[in-house]
Amino acid sequence: MKVTLATHGGLAAPVLASLPPDVVDTHALPESDAAELSRLVAAAVPASAAAAGNPEPPKRAPDAMSHSITVEEGGHSSVLVQSDADMSPEFAALLRWLKEHVARD
Amino acid sequence: MTSEFRHHCIVPPYLLERLLKDDDGEVRQAALNTMLTTAHLRGERAVRAAFPGLATPGNARRTIYDCRNTTSLPFAVLARSEDGPEAADVSVNRAFDVLGKTRDFFQRVFARNSIDGHGMRLDGYVHYGYEFANAFWDGRQMVFGDGDGRVFSDLTGSISVIAHELGHGVTEHTTGLEYHNQSGALNESMSDVFGAMVEQWTLGQTAEQADWLIGREVFTPQIEADALRSMKAPGHAWNTEKFGKDPQPDHMSKYVNMPDTYEGDWGAVHYNSGIPNKAFYLTAATIGGYSWEAPGLIWYEALKASNSETRFQEFADTTYRKAGELYETGSAEQMAVLGAWQEVGISITGVSAGLARARNRPAGKNGDATAAVRALTAQVQELSRDVATLKGRATAGG
Repeated sequence: MKVTLATHGGLAAPVLASLPPDVVDTHALPESDAAELSRLVAAAVPASAAAAGNPEPPKRAPDAMSHSITVEEGGHSSVLVQSDADMSPEFAALLRWLKEHVARD
Repeated sequence: MTSEFRHHCIVPPYLLERLLKDDDGEVRQAALNTMLTTAHLRGERAVRAAFPGLATPGNARRTIYDCRNTTSLPFAVLARSEDGPEAADVSVNRAFDVLGKTRDFFQRVFARNSIDGHGMRLDGYVHYGYEFANAFWDGRQMVFGDGDGRVFSDLTGSISVIAHELGHGVTEHTTGLEYHNQSGALNESMSDVFGAMVEQWTLGQTAEQADWLIGREVFTPQIEADALRSMKAPGHAWNTEKFGKDPQPDHMSKYVNMPDTYEGDWGAVHYNSGIPNKAFYLTAATIGGYSWEAPGLIWYEALKASNSETRFQEFADTTYRKAGELYETGSAEQMAVLGAWQEVGISITGVSAGLARARNRPAGKNGDATAAVRALTAQVQELSRDVATLKGRATAGG
């Protein structure tokens, strides 16, 4: 499984736009980390899917960033998008794990 | 196959109840978490309201909460209140102090009672998220991250950034400029204008003395960048190997077209704000003196006279009209506005370019007449400040 994190917008939008996305591949991770990442993704997907049914337009909070997490596995790709201003706990947990992992590397 | 799930806003209760009965355990757990968070938020508000020392609606009272590096505002803990003692946490105290300075700026300069004009409480959340390199206004409160320590520093360290975020609240409560394309870029620009003015007012700087940088303190010392943006020289705030060059335009001929999506910064709102930013700087530099006086008043009155869909041309026309109303038609102030917009590629509707060029001379170069106008303007502004102060006292007393 390959997980890609891209961040857009925010107070420093033009700066962030110049930075490449962060990519984590479970094949390159220790088994325990790969399992943890898979668990976090599994939790974040249904939380985002549940919210995706909401007919209201997205909330555009000034300067809020949007985080796009692309999950690729077995020829299937899912994109989870959430904003700083409106983030599920499951998405936040996945985002934090990815940031911590990237910072460690 | 690609699918996209976007979390828009709070899920309606009926949907949550249905999800609680879903066959999928993960879905049930997600729904339960959301309901618990919402219930906790309701409970926390009720508990907070019961304590007399905490911020209550009205009187622009400040309250700072510590998110403890989570993304949950409802679970943030009280760190400092209006009547409480100074905190041990420097981020808490910085946010508290700058919220106060910004509140005082709006009260004393524009006789505006807090963000909404009616004493709205000022709630700030610090230490939001993990290595969160951002600050934003979510419609009710300001949220500040610690930065990642590698590229971005603690966002509470920048007065122009904090005032910028509060400025979004002011814009939301005056015109509600839609956050996309030109109205969004104007929204961003107004926040930069407020951010610069609050910083200059706090430091007692004239337009000539100020550096007109927004977010000077945002980058870590390892990053060779002046600031997030330069209002004096859009496109020149940074030029580094890591980020490339600051892409902000300073003229309509360089207007940046990007999609109205989150990837496109909602139509390049943080890019094209450079154009009206430069117009404000040029106006302030031409008039001379303090930016929050004539230039700030003209921009603030133009903001109040705008609407949610106002674009650059309409806003420029409004600033020109307001300058004429406030300082007389053909005044040095109105000519400064005219020349500033022309320099960024926007001609005021109904004013020929030739006339604009002929009349666009920096204030002070027209001899004694201009000097006399400036002296009179200064006296009027002094009187306006006195009236604003008296109005503020009357409002606070009422």
